[in-house]
Amino acid sequence: MRYQFEIIVGIIVILFAGAFLYTASTNPDAEFEGSDGIGSAIISELTGIAEDDVTPLIPQWAPPSGEIESGLFALQAAFGGVILGLGFGYLLGQRRLNQN
Amino acid sequence: MHIMEGFLPPLWAAIWWIVSLPFIIYGFIQLKKTFEENKDALPLLGICGALIFILSALKLPSVTGSCSHPTGTGLSAIMFGPYITTIVGFIVLLFQSLFLAHGGLSTLGANTFAMAICGPFLGYYVYRALRNTRLNMYITVFIAVALADLFTYIITALELTLAVPAGELGPGGLFATFLGVFAITQIPLAILEGAVLALVFKYIVDIRPDIITRMRIFSEEKIQAARGV
Repeated sequence: MRYQFEIIVGIIVILFAGAFLYTASTNPDAEFEGSDGIGSAIISELTGIAEDDVTPLIPQWAPPSGEIESGLFALQAAFGGVILGLGFGYLLGQRRLNQN
Repeated sequence: MHIMEGFLPPLWAAIWWIVSLPFIIYGFIQLKKTFEENKDALPLLGICGALIFILSALKLPSVTGSCSHPTGTGLSAIMFGPYITTIVGFIVLLFQSLFLAHGGLSTLGANTFAMAICGPFLGYYVYRALRNTRLNMYITVFIAVALADLFTYIITALELTLAVPAGELGPGGLFATFLGVFAITQIPLAILEGAVLALVFKYIVDIRPDIITRMRIFSEEKIQAARGV
């Protein structure tokens, strides 16, 4: 079958989304915060130092808001997307040249 | 899998930097060599590196009610080996610690060790172990990529267990707690990442099977068998 692989991957994506929707609807307490943050919270609990009081060893700039943070993440993904397209475009062009 | 700035004691931050540094240096040497000697492979390197940029920026929800991100390192490890993958992963983590406050410069060594060294190395050796078996090569890629992703989070859990006083939980209990936070959340993401990157690999094989055989990633027979030719 021609698109067998795509269909399998599509089903996995749907199952993944379904698992999210199921979790979100059966567990109203789920906040879907980052696992990094949960890990940090456990450390704070164990060391007795509140997360906000943890002093950076090396001073760090943090995005001032969630909007700016998500913008920078989008930028990272967009950069990847551009390179991905360039790479595939190059390979497709090469194939075409080889065929002629 | 980012360990936040300040969350590792100075000793452990330094240890992970010292452990990671030789991999980073050797990775740069290998990358330079690839740029000089294997120009043909550069578009592929771009694709593999770009996937790490994209996937590690995606926060996805999981069954544990928290979010995590895939790592994207497995495919690069298969195609270019673990050392070059270390460099790409390191660059992404550096970007995230400088501009996103995801991980910090002191914990960059530990985060590099987890995402850019341990994950790619595990993925690479899984691929090497399965490469010449009868397993379909797309399934080989799927398994190697998914395990590289998952292993990264197991290492993060281990790094935190080593660095934090265990208290009542004991080291085993603490490790289990961190595994629960990081690894369990990661299982669905690892499966998804394995499937998506296996599909990307299929597209590469479809376009230029000659490069895959020339780089000796899979044998010609394997490619023909998987493509059903």
